[in-house]
Amino acid sequence: MMKKSIVSIGLALLIAGCNATTPEKPMSLKEQYEAALARTQAAVKKAASVDGEWRDVRWKKSKKRYLPKAIEAAKAGDYEKALKLLKIAEFQAEMGYKQAMAEKDAGPHLYGL
Amino acid sequence: MTSNNHRFSGLAGSLLLAAGLVITAQASAAEDPLSAGKKIAFDRKKGNCLACHHIEGGTLAGNVAPPLVAMKHRFPDKAKLRAQIWDARTNNPRTIMPPFGPHQILSEKEIDLVTEFIYSL
Amino acid sequence: MRKIATLLLSAGLVAVSTQAVSGPKEDLEKFRTYFEQKFPGLQLDEFGNGVYALDANKRIQWEAMEEFPPYEEFVDKGREIWEKPFKNGKSFADCFGKDPSKVRVKYPRWDAERQQVVTLELAINDCRKKNGEKPFKWKKGPIAWLSAYLGYEARGQKINVVIPEDDPKALEAYEKGKHFYYAKRGQLNMACADCHIKYPGHFVRGQLLSPALGQVTHFPVFRAKWEKKSKNGDGLGTLHRRYGGCNKQVRARPFPAQSEQYRNLEFFHQYMSNGLAINAPGYRE
Repeated sequence: MMKKSIVSIGLALLIAGCNATTPEKPMSLKEQYEAALARTQAAVKKAASVDGEWRDVRWKKSKKRYLPKAIEAAKAGDYEKALKLLKIAEFQAEMGYKQAMAEKDAGPHLYGL
Repeated sequence: MTSNNHRFSGLAGSLLLAAGLVITAQASAAEDPLSAGKKIAFDRKKGNCLACHHIEGGTLAGNVAPPLVAMKHRFPDKAKLRAQIWDARTNNPRTIMPPFGPHQILSEKEIDLVTEFIYSL
Repeated sequence: MRKIATLLLSAGLVAVSTQAVSGPKEDLEKFRTYFEQKFPGLQLDEFGNGVYALDANKRIQWEAMEEFPPYEEFVDKGREIWEKPFKNGKSFADCFGKDPSKVRVKYPRWDAERQQVVTLELAINDCRKKNGEKPFKWKKGPIAWLSAYLGYEARGQKINVVIPEDDPKALEAYEKGKHFYYAKRGQLNMACADCHIKYPGHFVRGQLLSPALGQVTHFPVFRAKWEKKSKNGDGLGTLHRRYGGCNKQVRARPFPAQSEQYRNLEFFHQYMSNGLAINAPGYRE
């Protein structure tokens, strides 16, 4: 009788321990996409706020339009493609923001005027 | 040579020739690094180097920047040439040359290939 | 004692004001000097001819084009638009005054009431809206034809953009426009200044880079490239059309024509050509 309880308690502790140390269930591709999309949209907004947005992130006349194309791919269920495109869009948005911030002091003095 | 041998060597010769052609074709399809690098350098949507640099083999080259010639003299260390292509701002903070690496205008592999080609000039 | 104190104070104030951050007038002087040194011997008004002032071969071809200019028919269309009354019986003359030759030189201008830069194209559409007409599209077509007509009528007059000294917001708009010209942008990391202040007279592929001085005098511009794209050979386009095209080429997202960014840019850009003669519209390859 005692042995059974010990075993049960031991088992319960083991399971609890496993749950405590095992990493969370990995995000599905869809979840990864949604997280990346939110990040990218925030980055694009930030770039636009300092007039630093690059051409190919979402401008309608761009041939690339990485962000809209990512959303299209996700709608069609191709989350891998969507994530690939979002990676580029997010990168370009971040770089555009960094560039605009780095250029805050741009002026004629940089060109010998 | 008997007529049969003649025919046989003729056949063997044709087979060898055909095999040779196939092998050459596959080699061009795989492209040697210099040709691949030249293609990227000359592509307006990629390196577009001719916009500003005179390069042997290119037409209507611009003259905003120095002609790309005698490169092994000017950049004996190939790694330094690659670094210049990757980000020319290191040597000149206000350079007009686009930062091909940091802005991911070209991929790292493409920059490798372009470096090979430019270094060969 | 008091007299000495007042004297010292005034001297101090004078010293401070002369050391103050340089303003548009000083910017313009430095700008002119820079280009005079870069292209010695070139007459001021010649800068309004852009690359054709710099390259003898291109000039010969250009002068041939300007003899029977392809923009003439569109200038005529512009005149028709100017003369045609609106549905309500009024016309552009009611907004701008009867004399079409007196319009162009007033723009761009700082509108203190609206606290913004008003360009000629903006004023044209303001007039249409005020009179119940649909505004024109901003970059080409009727707006460019009318602007070209008004520019043509004003040929020879000197650009005279005024930055009112009593409105700090006007100076702010100028400074924003100036910053735009000198700041790198886009994936290709280029500033307007890179091509047009640092490298005018150099070739990008087969195209010659024009100097920033005199860059606006001949707008709206008739570009051969735009002519080829057009269904009816209409190569005319506004200054903001070109701003957008340039931004696109360095892989920056273009701003909308007549956006605040481009109106401020124009404010600075035109000011830098103060004193140069209007020679609109111009033919360009």
